[in-house]
Amino acid sequence: MGKKKSRRSPQDAGLTITSMMDMMTIILVFLLKSYQTDDLSVAASDDLQIPLSSAEKTPKLAVNVVVSRKDVVVDGAWVLDLTEITSEETGEPELAVPLDEKRGQLVSKLYEVLLEKAETAKDLGARAGSDNYDFKGEILLQIDKRMPFSVVREIMFTAGQAQFGNFRFVVIKGGGT
Amino acid sequence: MAGKGKRGTQADELDLVPIMNLVTILIPFLLMASSFVSLAAIDSTLPAIGQPPPPEEQDDEEPLNLSVAITDEGFTVMGGDATLKPEGEEKGATIPCTKPNCPTPEAYDIKELTRLLVQIKDSWEDEQNVILVPESQVPYEVLVRTMDATREDPDTVDGAGNRELFPFVVIAGGAQ
Repeated sequence: MGKKKSRRSPQDAGLTITSMMDMMTIILVFLLKSYQTDDLSVAASDDLQIPLSSAEKTPKLAVNVVVSRKDVVVDGAWVLDLTEITSEETGEPELAVPLDEKRGQLVSKLYEVLLEKAETAKDLGARAGSDNYDFKGEILLQIDKRMPFSVVREIMFTAGQAQFGNFRFVVIKGGGT
Repeated sequence: MAGKGKRGTQADELDLVPIMNLVTILIPFLLMASSFVSLAAIDSTLPAIGQPPPPEEQDDEEPLNLSVAITDEGFTVMGGDATLKPEGEEKGATIPCTKPNCPTPEAYDIKELTRLLVQIKDSWEDEQNVILVPESQVPYEVLVRTMDATREDPDTVDGAGNRELFPFVVIAGGAQ
């Protein structure tokens, strides 16, 4: 009787771990699957907090401009840094494009990068021959929610001059009244 | 040799601890990495470049030219129609923030804005365009909330979901 009992306990311990393994494996597979399905990656951080909105449309892939509190990045490539200036109107510090980076409302480096992308896209569209690949001037804008409109305006103006007139503001679903 | 017995019985011998290690590390990592947020996009077009959507009303009717200015004191709703101007107001109806000088994005009274826009929509059923004119220091979040307020009315539901107000947004240069 005693021998039977002592032989059973290690087997019980093995079974307990197995059932936990089942659960963990299912969770793991689920997470791996949901990890892969984002084609647009938003690297949320302190510097980039996307505003909430009640919008429903899903973003399609296009040229991706990320304007965080530190810098401006186009399709993963850094373009320029933002700086903090004292606003003339409110007297408080606010983010802005550095003065030597812009001519009027046009942000020079951003304009060059976007113009090059526009030319490449148009070229590809012409060669592909199908309407699907035509250059439509679409641009995705991921902007930190605290960004003052002056910066947003300059970015939009520059993009417009570089022939990207179709703005798609990337927002996180869930806002609205 | 005799003491070792059968080594083929894998049910007893399988060591699950390394696999558990792997799973225990991977799951918290994936949980942190996969943020369960779904993204959406708001479309807008520049006024001069790109194709603004064609107005649907007849040519003999005066266009509404509805525009909403976002200032550091609240919203100002303007339009081509004289009925939008309440008595004594030069430009148009003003909706002040719930707190003076609008310190936070939440202070902007978007419920009141939506209510006013519903009234305007009642008179101009076919109009779908709105022009937003934010001031330079207005935060981007306020602009997005305003676009939400002008796009649809969450309090009224018709056949296709929330009642659509003015879904085509154009963002103008800025009010100075």
